[in-house]
Amino acid sequence: MSTLLDIQDLRLSFKGLRGITDVLHGISLSIAAGERVALVGESGSGKSVIARIVLGLLQETRSARVSGKVGFDGAEINTMRPRDRAKLRGTEMSMIFQDPTSSLNPTFTIGNQFAEVMRRRDPKLSRAACDARAIEMLTEVSIPNPDRILENYPFQLSGGMNQRVMIAMALVNHPKLLLADEPGTALDVSVQAQTLRLMHDLVEKHGTAVLFISHNLGVVREFADRVYVIYRGNIVEEGPTASVFHNPGHAYTRALMDAVPRITGAGLPEVPEVSDAFLAPMVRHDRGAA
Amino acid sequence: MTRALRIIASNPLSLVGLILVLMIVLAATFAPWIAPFPTHNSAVIDFAFANSAPSSRNWMGTDLVGRDIFSRILYAFRISLVLGVVVLIIATPIGTIVGLLAGYLGGWTEAVLMRIVDVFLSIPPLVLAIAVLGVLEPTLTNAMIAVTVMWWPWYARLVYSIARSEREEGYVLAAEVIGASTTHITLREILPNCLPAIITKMTLDMGFVIIIASSLSFLGLGVQPPTPDLGSMVAEGARYLPDSWWMTVFPGLAILLAVFGFNLLGDGLREVLGAEE
Amino acid sequence: MSLLTVDNLSKSFSVAGGMVHAVRDISFAVERGECLAVVGESGSGKTTLANMLLGILSPTSGSIRFDGTELPAKRRASHRRAIQFVQQNPLSSLNAKRSIGASVRLGLDTYQIGERAQRWAKVEDALEEVGLPREMRHRAPSALSGGQRQRVGIARALACDPELVVLDEPTSALDVLVQARVLRLLNDLRTRKKLTYIFITHDLAVVRNVADRVAVFKSGQLVELGETAQIFTAPKHPYTRSLIGAVPVVDDAELDLRNRLAKGT
Ligand SMILES: Nc1ncnc2c1ncn2[C@@H]1O[C@H](COP(=O)(O)OP(=O)(O)OP(=O)(O)O)[C@@H](O)[C@H]1O
Ligand SMILES: Nc1ncnc2c1ncn2[C@@H]1O[C@H](COP(=O)(O)OP(=O)(O)OP(=O)(O)O)[C@@H](O)[C@H]1O
Ligand SMILES: [Mg+2]
Ligand SMILES: [Mg+2]
Repeated sequence: MSTLLDIQDLRLSFKGLRGITDVLHGISLSIAAGERVALVGESGSGKSVIARIVLGLLQETRSARVSGKVGFDGAEINTMRPRDRAKLRGTEMSMIFQDPTSSLNPTFTIGNQFAEVMRRRDPKLSRAACDARAIEMLTEVSIPNPDRILENYPFQLSGGMNQRVMIAMALVNHPKLLLADEPGTALDVSVQAQTLRLMHDLVEKHGTAVLFISHNLGVVREFADRVYVIYRGNIVEEGPTASVFHNPGHAYTRALMDAVPRITGAGLPEVPEVSDAFLAPMVRHDRGAA
Repeated sequence: MTRALRIIASNPLSLVGLILVLMIVLAATFAPWIAPFPTHNSAVIDFAFANSAPSSRNWMGTDLVGRDIFSRILYAFRISLVLGVVVLIIATPIGTIVGLLAGYLGGWTEAVLMRIVDVFLSIPPLVLAIAVLGVLEPTLTNAMIAVTVMWWPWYARLVYSIARSEREEGYVLAAEVIGASTTHITLREILPNCLPAIITKMTLDMGFVIIIASSLSFLGLGVQPPTPDLGSMVAEGARYLPDSWWMTVFPGLAILLAVFGFNLLGDGLREVLGAEE
Repeated sequence: MSLLTVDNLSKSFSVAGGMVHAVRDISFAVERGECLAVVGESGSGKTTLANMLLGILSPTSGSIRFDGTELPAKRRASHRRAIQFVQQNPLSSLNAKRSIGASVRLGLDTYQIGERAQRWAKVEDALEEVGLPREMRHRAPSALSGGQRQRVGIARALACDPELVVLDEPTSALDVLVQARVLRLLNDLRTRKKLTYIFITHDLAVVRNVADRVAVFKSGQLVELGETAQIFTAPKHPYTRSLIGAVPVVDDAELDLRNRLAKGT
């Protein structure tokens, strides 16, 4: 399998009012074409910024300092011209953001926003063709009455429906890489399962690779081939999903697993305070070992 | 504040803007002390030096009746700045309140207010101002009224579009659930989120107000002689082009510098305020 | 007497191309001090229900009785204090341009709670109660982590001294460690301040561990309402079964239970 995304020694710091804050301390992460990779870890550990670096968004922020290597499909994102990076977004790679309602523009209808996305790939597409394709995609993410939805504004839809609209919009151009930042948070479990199945199908059908960021370890376990665990800007554990879940090697990963509430009803888990063990070096699992 | 200055100073263009604006403000403030001929802001006549080209005595030459153009430009900056500040100080709150109410309350209020705004915006600004001055006497005060009438709708439009999207934000909902009043929600919650855009626009607009006011006096509708005004100076000098080029070129250059300075500074501010935490 | 009684409550929206019946003829009661979880598919009307309870939306028909009195459709500020709200998105629910202290203080000012001069101290008390340091009131929301922001949201709701708190997905934006801390905090506050919760969530594993009873919504209707233990051992409605059958799980005991329930045995 060829490597689609190859991140080596990625470092990121923000230049703020009170000096420089280091956010990523040398992250290495790779995704093969068609592979589903999950990134889990504590809030604020740097998961979303990695996604934004891959998209080339943070490189364009004046306060951000990015160094290291971000190879995508043979090209180097970090040194690319901003215009070329912009061309990749929404076509070769697309993103589903954490907060669906604020990622959709409140002043345009869903139909308008679909047309805009599709015309990024093919500017000459007619509105009727866009609408037909949008309805097809919305049906795939199990939105009822998709033709009605096209005329709605985002605030007229529930959070979960907006999230599904986002997913449909991200997949409409058949990207090579999908960056999904907490795509399930606003979905109920059955729709979440459906969405995951849909994403599975698309991975199979089009060879779309996915970088899947989530707090929901259950979802990660069902969705991902491989898992990276990140803690305070460092990868602390990496390995095939089954292996990491059965044999968490790092103290932080173990704490994370223990904190997951269980449907067997063990009560609210005891929460360990931050411990020095969380800063221990990275644990790497062998491929294929489960 | 020092941080704002540091950010502006780190961008060469905004720094140029800041310096230009500071120079203009200082020149206007201290005109009576800086101007080589402080009395030339009125109907003084000095035929001995009439219509003379730039020299060591009159750096920018003199006009037909011998008044020093450099001194008159310094005084004209005063008028322009006062006019700009007064117009914006009146137009901005009106536009802001209209925009906040329309954007936050929505429904019927939004429909009525924004329809009125659209009517104003559909009339070309200069035409509107000329119409106002057709009814009123062409004086400085009335020129300010005319420019204000055409200016507030732009603020209403700007604030409206921000308020409309802020209305959907969780913090507005939170304030509503707590039971806060409309006044609190619009002025204390939503307005702070509009301020960066408003302040940036005000800075950019200072330049445009100066242009519009100059255009009005160029047409003879604004500030009346003998009060020095950049627009009327250009208009007066234009009749003696190309021979007495200094009569038009220097006041024109002054307009250009003012507009340029405020625009560059505005762009710099946009970044400072946008980067606000 | 129940703290909250909802009778035949309905809400429809007219949209381009017809009507949406977001909530249809729902009746239930919430007892003082309990935690009622509301679960159900996306778009099933949970948020619409919450908005009606909070007085943000007025019902199309039906009634809401709170503490024995009927709540009017158009609610005035004085009716709002007792029912408060914690939102899903902790960042957008705080105003980026105001200090978190100012956000927490809003309820105190609105209801004239305490002497004006003592209100900042009360704000700091409220922050302390949710486990945040007192001096944090000066900070901007952007300087807080997701879990801290959610605590601020909780402090803001509790500053109004409410009896009923509607929590709409209060932990779904948090990592599981922080989630566990916030859930423990919520449980703690409920006992300490004798609060009643309506807890809207998609996370059935959370529901299993915090709720006393569970209400299951589907297409605007209430399809099942029962004790948590009963819902997770013997769900009656097929939709409840399918919901539990889809829960993502992490360990084998859970997988076992899930598969057993989904099959309906
Ligand atoms: N534009 C920015 N300027 C300064 N600091 C930033 C900026 N964006 C992110 N950060 C900081 O970088 C760190 C990583 O943020 P990031 O959003 O990647 O976290 P995350 O892992 O996605 O967390 P969550 O799970 O809560 O979404 C945080 O400490 C955050 O405060
Ligand atoms: N203002 C509105 N105008 C029109 N339709 C609306 C409006 N608000 C909600 N709806 C519709 O009402 C239904 C219920 O929405 P609601 O937000 O209550 O769902 P929910 O159960 O909270 O979903 P989620 O779990 O996704 O948040 C949806 O079909 C939605 O499209
Ligand atoms: Mg994130
Ligand atoms: Mg909802």
